[in-house]
Amino acid sequence: MDYIWQGLAQAFYLLFANDPATYSAIWTTLKVSTLSIISSLILGIPAGFFLGHYSFPGKKAVRVLVDTLLSFPTVVIGLLVYIMVSRQGPLGELDILFTIPAIAVGQTVLGLPIVIALTASAVESLDQRLKYTLLTLGADRFQVLLTTVWEARFSIMAAAVTAYGRIVSEVGISMMVGGNIKWHTRTITTAIALETNKGKFGMGIALGFVLLCIAFAVNLCLNLLHKRTEE
Amino acid sequence: MPNLYQLQNICKTYKDKDVLQVESLFIYNKEIVGIYGSNGSGKTTLLRLLSFLDEPSKGEILFEGRLTNHNELYLRRQVTYLDQSPYLLKRSVWGNVSYGLKVRGISSKSGQIHEILDIVGLPPQEYARRKWYQLSGGEAQRVALAARLVLRPKVLVLDEPTTNLDAESTKRIREASLRVREQWGTTIVLASHDQDWMDSISDRGLEMQDGRIISTRSKQ
Repeated sequence: MDYIWQGLAQAFYLLFANDPATYSAIWTTLKVSTLSIISSLILGIPAGFFLGHYSFPGKKAVRVLVDTLLSFPTVVIGLLVYIMVSRQGPLGELDILFTIPAIAVGQTVLGLPIVIALTASAVESLDQRLKYTLLTLGADRFQVLLTTVWEARFSIMAAAVTAYGRIVSEVGISMMVGGNIKWHTRTITTAIALETNKGKFGMGIALGFVLLCIAFAVNLCLNLLHKRTEE
Repeated sequence: MPNLYQLQNICKTYKDKDVLQVESLFIYNKEIVGIYGSNGSGKTTLLRLLSFLDEPSKGEILFEGRLTNHNELYLRRQVTYLDQSPYLLKRSVWGNVSYGLKVRGISSKSGQIHEILDIVGLPPQEYARRKWYQLSGGEAQRVALAARLVLRPKVLVLDEPTTNLDAESTKRIREASLRVREQWGTTIVLASHDQDWMDSISDRGLEMQDGRIISTRSKQ
């Protein structure tokens, strides 16, 4: 049991003593996850709206594909992105392997199906009377689209939080296309994996605690936003 | 009175079945027309065509002497439709009432919103900031009516507006309808199962059955 207490004590020391390696992993995680969630939302909300709002040939097949991608293993995404951005790959010229943008691309692929699927479900479950209400109040087609997304805002915010939770906690992509390079691409999760393997539980516990705090802060923001948008 | 609507040889078909057939119908400016008939008689279909929310499968609708197309935004902004269980947007009473003004690019003045809430019998100080889920069925119906009246529509289409409402809300909706006709010259087309209520408000009654208008009667 002693090593657990020692680990906890060391975790608090690392956090309160501003340990550079610990904070480097935290900032890298915040940077890359912010990039990933923003691009997932920019691409995913319109795609999800289109999927949920319109009928088109092959819609069911697209839906099945998106639902399947929800359980895409992160190491497989890591492998695919690695193949794409490695020297011989089609995007090799970008030279982004083992960089933050490479991790962000992989995490966007991870978050995108979540945002698309949950946004589509949110739009599909909206009241059928909404469209006629907006039309009879004089909204044009674009205003109908915007208001429909706004009416689904609580579910879309929940989709964003779910996607962020998956992005911030993944290891496979960050490890494979980020390379876990200290001071550069080492994230909270890859650092926890590495330090635990080395038997250094202190840093693992400290970073695990930060990860929990991030999850708590995101949910707190969501709740505040929920209250504000109700007004 | 000059005629506002002119319907000619209208037919509406759903799944190969004719649900509405109207050879000819005129609705005049500032008139209140009541439509009654049993369920499935075609009342709602006719009201949706008059509101330009739907288009006829055959035939022509002329509005102010002009041939119409239901996709025209200008037309949808002249006519507004309220059904028996209206949808309120997930925002406050103020947000709901001002939505139609906002999409027209008109800034909503508090005096304007307060006046409309007064007309439908909802004291603004008490109701303007309430959220959509803090309203009873009758209050929600009156907020939905206020959201339409604030637009000062040329035509107000009411589909069973008093179904499941208490006596107070029914009375308020009747008073508000008569007041906007009086004040702004709004033409009103309404359908209701409550024939006494409808007779008390309308200038002319149309009886529908199986998608056809089978009789017309005018108030003496």
